[in-house]
Parts: sequence; structure tokens; C-alpha cells
Amino acid sequence: MIKIRQFIHSFGWPRIIIGLFLLSLFILAPFFNVNVATSISDTIVRFGQNGLMVLAMVPMIHSGCGLNFGLPLGIIAGLLGGTLAIEFNFVGPVSFLMAILLATPFAVLFGWGYGKLLNKVKGSEMMIATYVGFSSVAFMCMMWLLLPYDSPTMVWGYAGTGLRTTISTEGFYLHVLTNFLKFRLGETLMVPTGMLLFFALIAFFMWAFLHTKRGTAMTAVGSNPVFARASGIDIDKTRTLSVIMSTWLGAIGILVYQQSFGFIQLYMGPFYMALPAVSAILIGGASVNKASIVNVIVGTFLFQGIVTMTPSVMNSMIHTDMSEVIRIVVSNGMILYALTRKSEATR
Amino acid sequence: MSELRETRKEKILSILEKNSVPILFTVFCALGIPLSGYSYGYLGQEIVVRIARNSFLIIALLVPIMAGMGLNFGMTLGAMAGQIGLIFIADWGIVGIPGMILAMIISTPISAFLGWLCGKILNMAKGREMVTSYIIGFFINGVYQLIVLYGMGSVIPIKNPALVLPRGYGIRNTVNLISIRKVLDNLLAIKIFGISIPVATLLVIAALCFFIIWFRKTKLGQDMRAVGQDLEVARAAGIKVEHTRIVSVVLSTILAGYGMIVYLQNIGTLNTYNSHMQIGMFSIAALLVGGATVNRASIGNVFLGVSLFHLMFIVSPTAGKNLIGEAQLGEYFRVFVSYGVITIALVLYEVRKRRDLTRAGRLLAQDQADEVEAKQ
Amino acid sequence: MKKIHFTRRNYVQLASVAVILLIAVLMFIVGRQHTVLLDNKTVEHEGKTYTAFSIVTVEVDREGELELAARDRDKAEVMGQRHKITVVYTDRSFEEHTLVKKFKVPIGQDMVLLSIPALVGEADESVWLQPFFPPTAAVAPQAEVLPTEDVLAVDITF
Repeated sequence: MIKIRQFIHSFGWPRIIIGLFLLSLFILAPFFNVNVATSISDTIVRFGQNGLMVLAMVPMIHSGCGLNFGLPLGIIAGLLGGTLAIEFNFVGPVSFLMAILLATPFAVLFGWGYGKLLNKVKGSEMMIATYVGFSSVAFMCMMWLLLPYDSPTMVWGYAGTGLRTTISTEGFYLHVLTNFLKFRLGETLMVPTGMLLFFALIAFFMWAFLHTKRGTAMTAVGSNPVFARASGIDIDKTRTLSVIMSTWLGAIGILVYQQSFGFIQLYMGPFYMALPAVSAILIGGASVNKASIVNVIVGTFLFQGIVTMTPSVMNSMIHTDMSEVIRIVVSNGMILYALTRKSEATR
Repeated sequence: MSELRETRKEKILSILEKNSVPILFTVFCALGIPLSGYSYGYLGQEIVVRIARNSFLIIALLVPIMAGMGLNFGMTLGAMAGQIGLIFIADWGIVGIPGMILAMIISTPISAFLGWLCGKILNMAKGREMVTSYIIGFFINGVYQLIVLYGMGSVIPIKNPALVLPRGYGIRNTVNLISIRKVLDNLLAIKIFGISIPVATLLVIAALCFFIIWFRKTKLGQDMRAVGQDLEVARAAGIKVEHTRIVSVVLSTILAGYGMIVYLQNIGTLNTYNSHMQIGMFSIAALLVGGATVNRASIGNVFLGVSLFHLMFIVSPTAGKNLIGEAQLGEYFRVFVSYGVITIALVLYEVRKRRDLTRAGRLLAQDQADEVEAKQ
Repeated sequence: MKKIHFTRRNYVQLASVAVILLIAVLMFIVGRQHTVLLDNKTVEHEGKTYTAFSIVTVEVDREGELELAARDRDKAEVMGQRHKITVVYTDRSFEEHTLVKKFKVPIGQDMVLLSIPALVGEADESVWLQPFFPPTAAVAPQAEVLPTEDVLAVDITF
């Protein structure tokens, strides 16, 4: 009994409620003629789509920079990589590789600047991260109009300049990961092996990194900066590194998302992308200053499960699509819960 | 003693820096006005309209700043409460000034409750009030949608079919507020130099300003400032810190609700699911443009901010069009500036806070050295 | 002593809540909008015929004068319940008359139909002032875009 209580305490009520909610959705689904296999398949695909963006939270949480509300900055690096790869006319799987390669310098540059900025504002990183994300998206809105792109697949037809709001990745890197080693179980259950493998690979690297000397140093900076300084770790440098990593993961994350989703969304597209990723990792059991790869996997699966299941089950149950509202309440409620917890470590 | 130690150059620099955002905006506007080609009469009229429209909302932000809780991104809660009040009066067919007053009365308990909730949560998240209040805004927005989009017309009776979605429940995306449109503005409008001035609205805003000035001097206002200065010192002085903070948020939320009603009576239509989300961001940006910081804001900042921010807002699309031939660019530009100014203000505040700490340390060290010298 | 002070404070709070509620009710009554439909049509009631005027000028409160030809109908939107109607008409001997009449609209009534010929013909109030329920027109349901979460109406598929 005590053990259960301890478990509940460490796991937190909101997560249990969310878990039970998802479970009940899966149980209810067959009674309302919702195809469970399709839903699971959808959930897996969405997991693959969003996993990396959730993983992008991990380095910054480890180094004590808090939740990465500035994820849009990384996404912008990814968008630059993707659009440049198309502009230079790479096609097929090569374009995906090139998109990653082209996005990397931007991600490193943005991440470096962003990290320097966050080092100046220790203690209120999250608020500033949010607004760095917003203003960079707004700034890029102008840039998408002005940058001299001229690939006919991307610019507005009538003006000849300025990128379209959505650009199809078809013919470029659409489904390059999803279709790699893809297999079907039965009629409806599709497993995008390549995408999952890619996620697993990056997640493994992340895990391995966190166990190297630099990785443990990063954790030390986050959990106990005084100790970290005493043992000769350059705090600012470590934090900057973590921010660069987060930004880069965000960039790769959006590319993986686009190859599965099929479209590059420019302009205000990345605006609110941080919130779902943030709440996903929190649902997975992370807190403002503690996160693991398991949190990422569990959280993304739970969050995407809810996002897929609520519309279909709710729709057939009460003939109203309340999923949007439920998603808003659940995801923001989760973030709120995490923000109001007393942090275990003092920063 | 310590003040004298600063050189004149340092002083000028610090003054310039303190007012860097308003100066920057003045330059922006000075460049933008000729580019846009608008006449001064038109711009003057627009600014008067926007001061009347937005000031009330922005003044609502002052109270939590006083209590050291930063920019109250949770003012959207008040805006939602105000909108609920407006939906009800639109449904009941209450019009004119009485309609506005009734909407305010309806909004008050809702705002108070939401503000109390917000204050409670913010007390649990000390040190990160701003980001928390920001997320509360989103969270309550979900609840608001649940009530307005699903509850109204099904659980909460709404009889006017013009308000309800065709499916039978839920409020439409836009609610026509023609019945209270500009009632306050037109109550006592006079024309000076071809610019019509909504005297009644300005009087209401003036009354609110006097209320804020008076409030600063009350016991509660003093307590709030003490809490804002230093939480622990205030607690040691016997001030109920948590309670004071909650009161400040409640007050701000209620005022934001009224402000939203004043704002929407000028606009004349309610975007049921959007109006409130935008308003928080624009109000905060305007206040910051006026030279306020996270911990210091005055009524002067409000009016300077509204004028400069909205001048930029009016001017930039046409200026963008005339400069580059792309009106869309100007639109994006003003969105960027709104967010950018908040970012810069937040960063400057943090940087300054840290530098002030080190400077205070330096001055203290100097003083101590002086003392040692004097003793010798 | 302290306790008495405390209850007094409570009384004040209670009283102010009551006052605010009272104001709310007052505002509800004062600010209630009613639509008065002004009708210049020949009506028959209990065998009596009230003939429409070929032209008549009416004004409800100070909402502006309305000119109605025979068989015309117009509306005045008014605030509150007690109203005054001014009718200026010419009788058969081409003499101009002005009739001022006060009337009350029940608070629950959104719309009332006021028949000018019946009013001038000194019929009973229940004849010239009748509640009116607008016919609920069968309008095809319009597709309305449901709101999205975000500020600038950007669709985000997640």
C-alpha cells in the first residue's frame, strides 16, 4: 500500500489521470466502432513524427535551462535546411540527408546565440525562451518573403518571389524514413520502421552522450551548479552546448516531421509547436529540471495517443469533436502542474 | 555617498538605456510616418481612438507589477470574463450604457474567481510567475472554449439564435455587439481640430488612473510595493505576502475584464475565440514600449506606450508597402516588433537586474574600503 | 469588541453585494432593448375597421421621425419599458392632428406590434399594442469554421 502511494506520489496524479484516460479511450474504442488497429498505427506514426522534437527538450532540461519553449528556433533551422535542400534541387533520400546537413550550421549558429542569451538571464530562461521562439518565428515570416529563393516548387506562382505557406515535400524527402523497411501487420496496422529506427538511433546517441564525461557534467550543471563549478566545469559553456544540442534536435525533429507529414509549413507554422512537445515530455514524467529518454518515449506515446484517440472516440460517442479543447486543457494543464511543483534541486 | 561615485557618462548611459525602447520606437515612427504617407490629422485621430480603446486594459497590468509579480500574462482571464459578460447581455438584449454596466457586473465575480485561482497558482510558482501566468492563460482558454463552444446553448441557456452556432449550441465565431457599439465613446464626444475625442471614455480612464494613484497610497498598495521590493523582508514585517499577491492578481483580472468591455464597445464585434488571446500580448507590448520594465511601470508609460506602439502599428503596413511593395511584410513586421519588444524588454530587465546586483556589490565594497581608509 | 467590528465589516460587504445586485437588476430593466414594429395597415377588430392612413409620421421617444405610407411597416428600437409615441396625421378634412400616447412594453417581450390606425382610432390598448413573435425563418445551416487555438488563425496539424 505504501509502495503504491509512493509510486503515485512520484508519478504524480495528472499523469495517472491521463494514463487512465487514454486506457479508457482504448477500451471504449471498440464499442463505438472505432478501429483500434488504425488508431494504434496512427499513434505510432505520430510518435515517430514528434519524438525527436520531444527529445529536443532533454539537453536543456539536463543543463538546468528549463523547458525549451524556444523550440521554434530549432524548427526554423530545420525549415531553412529543408527549403535550401529543395532550392538546390536535391531529390529523394539525398535531399533528406542534405536538409539535415544544411540545417546543422544554422542550428549550431542559432543555438549558440540563443545559449549565450540564456546564460545572461539565468533563472527566467523559460519566459525568455518563449518569446525568443515567438519573435524568431515572426522575424522569419519576413525573411520567407524576402529571401531570394526561386525554386518554382516553393515560391508563389504569380509573384515569382516569396515562399508559399505550405510546400509539399513530395518528390523530395516525402516518406524517405517512413517507407524504409515499412511493414504491415494485418490490414490496417502499419509500422514506419525507418522513422522509429531513426528516432531510436538519435535517442541512443542522446542516452550515450548523457553518460559520457560531458554528459554527466551537463547533468551536474543542471542539478547542482555550485558543485559543478567547484569541480571545474565551465557552466556557461556547458549550458550553451546543451542549448545547441536542443536546437539541433529541434531542426532534425521538424525534418522528420515533414518527411512523414508531407508538407513544410512556413510562416506562422512553427509558432505553437513548442507547447505540445513540452507537455509531451512532462506527461512522460519529466519535471522542469529532470528528464530522461524514457520520459520522452512514454510521454510522446501518451500524448500522441490522446491526440489520435480523442477525436475518433469522442466523435462516435457524443457526435461532437471536443478533442481540440481536451488537448488544450490536458497539455497546458500538464505544463502548469510541472511549473508549480517545487523543484527538487535548487538552482 | 555612493551615488556620487558614478561618473556623468555612466549616468547619461543609464538614462539612455532606461529609455532605450521608447527612443527606439520614436525613431521607428519618425521614419515610418513619412513613408506611410498618412496625414497628421488621420494619425492623430487614430491615436486618440486607440488611447481610449486600449488604455484601460493596459492600466490593469500595473497592479501586479507593483506587487513584484511581473507582467501579468494572465490578464487574458479577465478578458475572457468580460467577454462572457458581453455574450450574456447580447443574448438578453440589454443595450447601451446599462448593458455595459451589466456586463461589467457579470464579469466581476468570474474575473475575481479566475484571478483568485491564478493568484493561488502563481503563489505555488514563485520566481517564474510570468511563464506560469502565460500558461494559465492558455489553460483557462481551453476551459473557456469548453464553456462557450460546448456549454452555452446546451447547459447555459442562450435564446438568441443569432448568437448560437447552427448546430444548436456553442457561440458563433463573431458576436455582433452593435447594441453597445461606441456607446461610451459617443456619450460625450467633442470635436477639436477635426479630431473627435471620446470624452466619456477618457474620463473613465482618468478615474481609473486616479484610482491607481490613490491605491498606491493605501495600506494595501504600500503592502504590495513592499512585497514587490522584497518578499522575505515584507513577510518579516508582518505582511501577509501570499494574500497580498492574490489580491493584486484579482484586482488586475477584474480591471482587465472591464478593460475588455471598454475595448470591445469601441470595436463593436467580438471575436469569441480570438479577441482575448491577442489582447494580452498587445497590451503588454504596448506597456513595454512606453518604457515600463518588468518591475517598474507608471501611468505615464501606459499612455506613451499606447501612442508609440499603435503609431507603429498603423504606420507599418503602408510603410512596408511603400518601401518594398509588400503590405504583408509590414503586417509581419508589426507582429515581429510586438514579440521582439517583449523579448528585448525581458532580456534587458534580467541583464540589468544582474548588473545592478554586481554594481551594488561593487559600491558596497568601495564604501567599506572608504571606511577602512577613514579609520586608518 | 473585536467580534462586533468583524461582523460590521461583513454587513458592509453584504450590503455592497446587495447594492451591486440591485444595480444589476436595474440595469437589466433600464437597458432592455425592445423592438417596436410600427404598422400602418387597416385592421379590423370586433367589427370595427380602423383604416390605414395614406401617409403618417410617427416618432417613438426621440428616435427620429418615421414616415409611413399605407400598408407600410417600420421599426423603432427602444431601451427600457415606458415609451411615448407621437403620431402626426391628417384626417379626412385635411386637418393636421398630433397624438401623443404613452405605452409600456412588458420586460420579457422582445418585439411588440403597434398598429397606428387602431391607436388613432382610440381602440383598446390590447388591440393596438400586441406582442409579436418573429417567424423563425428556415435558414440553411451555414458551415462555420471552428476556432483554432492560436492567435493569428494559423492551422497547426499536430
